[in-house]
Amino acid sequence: MSGNLNYIIRRLLYLIPVLLGVCGLVFLLFNVVAGDPTMLLLGKHADAQQMADLKAQLGLDKSLIAQYFDIVKSAFTFDFGRSWATKQQITEMLYQGAIPSLTLTIPGFFISTVMSLMIAIFVAYYRGKGIDLFIRTLAIALMSTSSLVYILVFQKYLAFELGLFEISGYEYGFPSFIPYIALPVVIWVVMSIGPDVRFYRTLILDEIYQDYVRTARAKGLSEKKILFKHVLRNALIPVITYTVVNLPFLILGALLLESFFSIPGLGGLTLSAVNASDFPVIKAMAILSAIAYILFTLVSDILYTLVDPRVKLN
Amino acid sequence: MFKSLLVVLSGVMILGASCTKKVDLKDRTLHVNVSAKVKGFDPVNAGDTYSSGEIARVYEGLLTYHYLKRPYTLIPNLAEDMPTVSNNGMTYTFKIKKGVKFQDNKCFPNGKGRELKAKDFVYSIKRMADAKNVSEGWWLLDKKIKGLNAWRTKYKTEKTNYDEVVEGVKALDDYTIQFTLSQPYPQFLYSLAMVYTFAVPKEAVDFYGKDFLNNPVGTGPFVTKPYTQGTRIEYTKSPSYRDVFYPTEGSAEDKANGLLADAGKKLPLVDKIVVSIITESQPAWLNFEKGKLDLNGIPKDNFESVVTPDKGVTDKYAKKGIDLVITPDLDITYIAFNHEDPLFKSNLKLRQAMSLAYDGDTANKLFYNNQGIIAQTLLPPGIGGYDPNYKNPYRQFSVEKAKKLLAEAGYKNGKGLPTIMYDTTATTVARQMGEYFKKQMAQIGINIQLNTNTWPQLTKKVKTKQTQIFGMAWLGDYPDAENFLQLTYGPNMAPGPNGGNYNNKEFNKGFAIATKMQPGPERAAKYKELAQKSAEDVSLLLGVHRTSFVVKHSWLKNYKFSTFNHGHSKYYSLDLKKKAEMINKL
Repeated sequence: MSGNLNYIIRRLLYLIPVLLGVCGLVFLLFNVVAGDPTMLLLGKHADAQQMADLKAQLGLDKSLIAQYFDIVKSAFTFDFGRSWATKQQITEMLYQGAIPSLTLTIPGFFISTVMSLMIAIFVAYYRGKGIDLFIRTLAIALMSTSSLVYILVFQKYLAFELGLFEISGYEYGFPSFIPYIALPVVIWVVMSIGPDVRFYRTLILDEIYQDYVRTARAKGLSEKKILFKHVLRNALIPVITYTVVNLPFLILGALLLESFFSIPGLGGLTLSAVNASDFPVIKAMAILSAIAYILFTLVSDILYTLVDPRVKLN
Repeated sequence: MFKSLLVVLSGVMILGASCTKKVDLKDRTLHVNVSAKVKGFDPVNAGDTYSSGEIARVYEGLLTYHYLKRPYTLIPNLAEDMPTVSNNGMTYTFKIKKGVKFQDNKCFPNGKGRELKAKDFVYSIKRMADAKNVSEGWWLLDKKIKGLNAWRTKYKTEKTNYDEVVEGVKALDDYTIQFTLSQPYPQFLYSLAMVYTFAVPKEAVDFYGKDFLNNPVGTGPFVTKPYTQGTRIEYTKSPSYRDVFYPTEGSAEDKANGLLADAGKKLPLVDKIVVSIITESQPAWLNFEKGKLDLNGIPKDNFESVVTPDKGVTDKYAKKGIDLVITPDLDITYIAFNHEDPLFKSNLKLRQAMSLAYDGDTANKLFYNNQGIIAQTLLPPGIGGYDPNYKNPYRQFSVEKAKKLLAEAGYKNGKGLPTIMYDTTATTVARQMGEYFKKQMAQIGINIQLNTNTWPQLTKKVKTKQTQIFGMAWLGDYPDAENFLQLTYGPNMAPGPNGGNYNNKEFNKGFAIATKMQPGPERAAKYKELAQKSAEDVSLLLGVHRTSFVVKHSWLKNYKFSTFNHGHSKYYSLDLKKKAEMINKL
């Protein structure tokens, strides 16, 4: 137990150098690649004096070291201040954006993961047969199609022509948001199911050819029992890694879906921030993503121990 | 297995379908969309068209544009009348309307909105001038109002004292406000019709602090709840809105278009407005076709299916009762030369050759559905100084003439001319325009290298004079030639709006004189002369004046396009009977 705790503490301490690195990277990109935010913020009539005044107001006239420490400070205090472009409180912007993003990505991710796993088990059970070939071909076809095609076609035919869904929009609160996220969730599932089925099928087949499976068969266990009781349990470790490591990206939203369905999520927020050189928002998103990634990786490590007792955290 | 999969997907579909909202047929609710995020509701930060359009539903200014009259004409809004102007044109005195109330809000004692006073305008103008508020509109009043720049500089860093009297902006009594200019500035009145100078109550700014931008409290026709950055904004009719009536004057064309049917009626004519923020063109269009939006622009890809070659509506859409409103916009597209680049600085013939080699007609067909007006000068139609009969000799496409001029410039067939860098944004259309320009120049032997940038990168390059040539567009801030001619005025060089850094002494001198003249035929003649001189000196490679195409449903009444759409939704009305009849045909 103390070993597990040590491991968790150690992993959490990794956050410090990672955050310092992320701050450095963000700072470097902002100072080297990005445009001058004062030019965008002051509009088309800005003059040199106004730009200089604004730079001072934003703290961009400070020494580079002082600017870097300002970023580090906000990373460790979670005080990201206000957006330069919209002047809104960033924590409020993130909160308002995270809700729509998660109401779309969580159901999408959950349904697509469960469905893909079920299909993968199904095709693994019938491996080498006609149905396996058919589903594999279908999966390749699905993943070869651009996500934009799904969005444009589904929106036009399922929402507009058949009237099965709302064309676009979003309302906060349960259950008001459901009509608005239903079609984006369907599209998310269709987009994800191709690559996921192929990935999970490979994982399951890797297990199916292990020695312990042959032993089980020799003992006379049924194929179904072997698949569900033994193979699936062992295949779950890479599944957990894949799933949990993807969770932070759910918070970041789904840029194209949010954009085409007018969902005010974090994907759109990040894109707007990049387009407007809105450094405080970009900084907040980069820092929070890094933290989320580390935390979810830690969660996946902990989950291993629950699925497979042989795994020890220390 | 498959059964359960189908059950899950069907469940999602049924859930979505069962909750799909029907088109609203009972309330007089106007449904419109904007194509970009709205930053907030602070007038001093109304730097983008989308935010300023929303702010103007709630806030108002001293002046506004007459809804129907063209050319655009200023009329009093919160002012009782047009101002009294001193003989030297330096002092403007306004009487403001009595009894105008701010909307009820918890920032006021007992939540009851108080009466608007002259001091509110003094405060609002100072707020805009306050450097800490970083208003994009400061250029309107910069160095124009006596004492305002000194006040701004004084409080740049220390705590702002709004009570300190500024000589140029004073409330003489509760209902009189006087502006004293520091230099002749006939365009001043336009700034009072712009959202930046709209009246805000000090109580609201103090009460909400930095969140004032999310808590609008104006005197306008509509109220809205505290703003959250979603994709929908709802407004309801303000119960405290004063008596304002639909205009009774309009042209014969307005009358024929039914735009005077509601003449004299009390405004607003709708009870509610729902604004959807839809950034992509497909969902906006589909929502419009479904009747969930009352009006919309026409996406480029849908243009041919909606508009006939003779600028009518195709049968498919005519049957649905969809009307088309076509109006020239007050803008210009152009390709700017960096006149500080030695290649262009003193090489008029090279610039003229490039202008002649650019086929504007084909560009118009390719990028503007052949609906733009080929620009002969910087000035668009509808502005004093625009001459419909003028043909710019260097805007008449001719490869032969271009080659001749290029040879005279010392670069026969492009020999000896280095590759020219063309900077543009990375959008598909901007890239296509770049490719087209490259092809046009290749005809006379000029090599162009395309360089795509993000918008921040392009802005940075232009503002720091790091481009050679770049594509740009300018939408007028107000209907005065000064706002367009300033694009080539020397003192406005980068980082100012003259991104091409054109600096012609004669032009600068003429500009300085003309822009200080009072409006009238004499000034228009001067503007015309300046515009043509600048055009023939090829200060910019001129593109087109774009045309606005808006489609609307037959149930939406009183819609007239305006480049300066500040609070015009109060004039719109809805024929709900017609809507109920037409909605089934969609």
